[in-house]
Amino acid sequence: MKHCPTCNRTFDDTKAFCGLDGTRLVEDAPTPSAGQQYNQPAAQGWPSGPVVQPTPAPQHAEPRRVEAPRVANAPAADPLERLRCEWCQAMNEKTALSCRACGAPLDIKNLVSESGWREAPRIKDMTEIHFGASTCQVEGEIVPVAELNLAQGDSVFFEHHVMLWKDDRTPMGVMPLQGGIKRALAGMPFIISLAYGPGRIAFSRDATGELVVMPLHPGMELDVREHAFLLASHHISYSYVRIKGLRNILFGGQGMFMDRFVTGQQPGLLLLHGYGDVFERVLQPGESIMIEPGAFLYKDASVTMNVETQKLTTGFFGGTGMNLARMTGPGRVGIQSMYVHHHTD
Amino acid sequence: MTLGGTAPNQPTRTHTCPWCGLVSDGTQLNCPACGATIDVERIVTNSGWTELPGRHDMAKLQFGNSHCQIEGTYVPVADFNLSPADGVYFSHHVLLWKEPQVNITAMSLKGAWKRLFAGLPLIMTQAVGPGHIAFSMDAAGEVIALPLQPGQGVDVREHIFMVATLNITYDWFSTNVWFNTRNGDETETHYPLGAYMDRFYAPQSPGLLLLHAAGNVFTRHLAQGQTILVKPTALLFKDPSVQMQLHFEHPNGTTRSWRSWGERYLWLRLFGPGRVAVQSAYAHMHDNGRNITRHSTATRQRW
Repeated sequence: MKHCPTCNRTFDDTKAFCGLDGTRLVEDAPTPSAGQQYNQPAAQGWPSGPVVQPTPAPQHAEPRRVEAPRVANAPAADPLERLRCEWCQAMNEKTALSCRACGAPLDIKNLVSESGWREAPRIKDMTEIHFGASTCQVEGEIVPVAELNLAQGDSVFFEHHVMLWKDDRTPMGVMPLQGGIKRALAGMPFIISLAYGPGRIAFSRDATGELVVMPLHPGMELDVREHAFLLASHHISYSYVRIKGLRNILFGGQGMFMDRFVTGQQPGLLLLHGYGDVFERVLQPGESIMIEPGAFLYKDASVTMNVETQKLTTGFFGGTGMNLARMTGPGRVGIQSMYVHHHTD
Repeated sequence: MTLGGTAPNQPTRTHTCPWCGLVSDGTQLNCPACGATIDVERIVTNSGWTELPGRHDMAKLQFGNSHCQIEGTYVPVADFNLSPADGVYFSHHVLLWKEPQVNITAMSLKGAWKRLFAGLPLIMTQAVGPGHIAFSMDAAGEVIALPLQPGQGVDVREHIFMVATLNITYDWFSTNVWFNTRNGDETETHYPLGAYMDRFYAPQSPGLLLLHAAGNVFTRHLAQGQTILVKPTALLFKDPSVQMQLHFEHPNGTTRSWRSWGERYLWLRLFGPGRVAVQSAYAHMHDNGRNITRHSTATRQRW
């Protein structure tokens, strides 16, 4: 038998990760194999992007039942109630104040505007988020810091300039990247750094904004505006996609490439930084929305983006052209309300 | 103006918004005209400045047959749901997103050459309903909702304006607040407040004006003849009745050569009567410290 060191639930030997919080399981003394049930943390109602790896996920990564999990030492007649996080859909203990997977406050209802934009949850100061066997604590609210306590075997990758501080013994490395010359020419980070557990390391961006915690469930594919990602766990593979179309490249407000984050068979944690406030909207198939290209933050890979130009003329001066990105569903689109990067200098 | 109604047997309960003066039935958490919270006490400093009332996230403002929802807290978004007969105008760089069916067109402005040279937006854009359209500025701060009643106007420092309804007129005027410095044969003209200010006016029907301020916002009402000094870039808006001019101040113990920036402080003097508003995060005003050769009407104080 194995058990989860975080929530203390037990699982059989075929499983590698806790189905509730994603923590790596550890070997345990043999126990009676009472019903190993756990909730499905996958995002119900989220239109997921194309599945990158079409092979069916192994049984341990694909929870099938939605009954509440049983703690090994809990009374059999006392079913545990669970709170579903409205942001990431993960299940949490009834007494939890914030989501274990994304840090969203559980005592505050989703804020959805009349037009359908859902405000990203403002993570309370000092909220702790769990991924693998590691934790991430979000500190501060105006320019939040993500402080990671990496466990042995866990690692994260990031752009080196977002690093705030680290323990001197936290190992560091560099992630090998393909297309280095392309990346250099496109202004994308040429070197992606890695930090390994055990050890502590902290990250922050240099502007007022929000930490957007995106727990990626297996088989998800997310496109993110370049330089918007703060860090990602090693469970997530990182690549980039070239933006198609000259107009999109020239007027899309984000250069030639977008970051692409893909999960395989394991869930992962992705932290983005949005300038100002962050909003998300789910587009139905064929539904479109026009957004300021600089406001784009992330989208499911299934959402298409095309820049359209509207000519605004006024008599002698000829006017100007205004470029807007048409995002067409199905899928999620995330935007940030402050869309010009203010350099600290 | 009274909104809503009460049951015949219930006592009438009203709430007067301290920010915009609207009388409502007080059943909502926010003033329906300006979004100010009505369940929080008005905050007035000992010196008489009133802090802009807070706003609940997702507060809704009503204007005409349309409404506007203010979303977010750090860099708020103004999300308009325009009815077919209503429209708004804005500077195109504040547009955040829109529904495809909302059509946007250019609104011609007079004095294009002057605007071009003054750095003012050359093209004002307008959008007409039906549909949703949203705006945000690219800086942390507050969205200020100023409902303008018929016959009411307000002067706004340049680049503060966010969006206004079509029944509000837009004009601009020279601030006449300037000074010249000389460096050898070169003369440089400085406009601490900007060369021009925007003026918004509601001629016949009430309208809604949204401004964006950096940091926190404070207002006060100056009595007839009352004066106050503010940093020029901290000024947000004022009633048209409030007059302004430069004020130079020289601290005690410094030389009078005016060769160093540290030897003078530059202020904007505001004269009542009328309302003035300032923001707490204001742009750094560069003073090259050189000798001032000419200036607009100003007062001076040497300590």
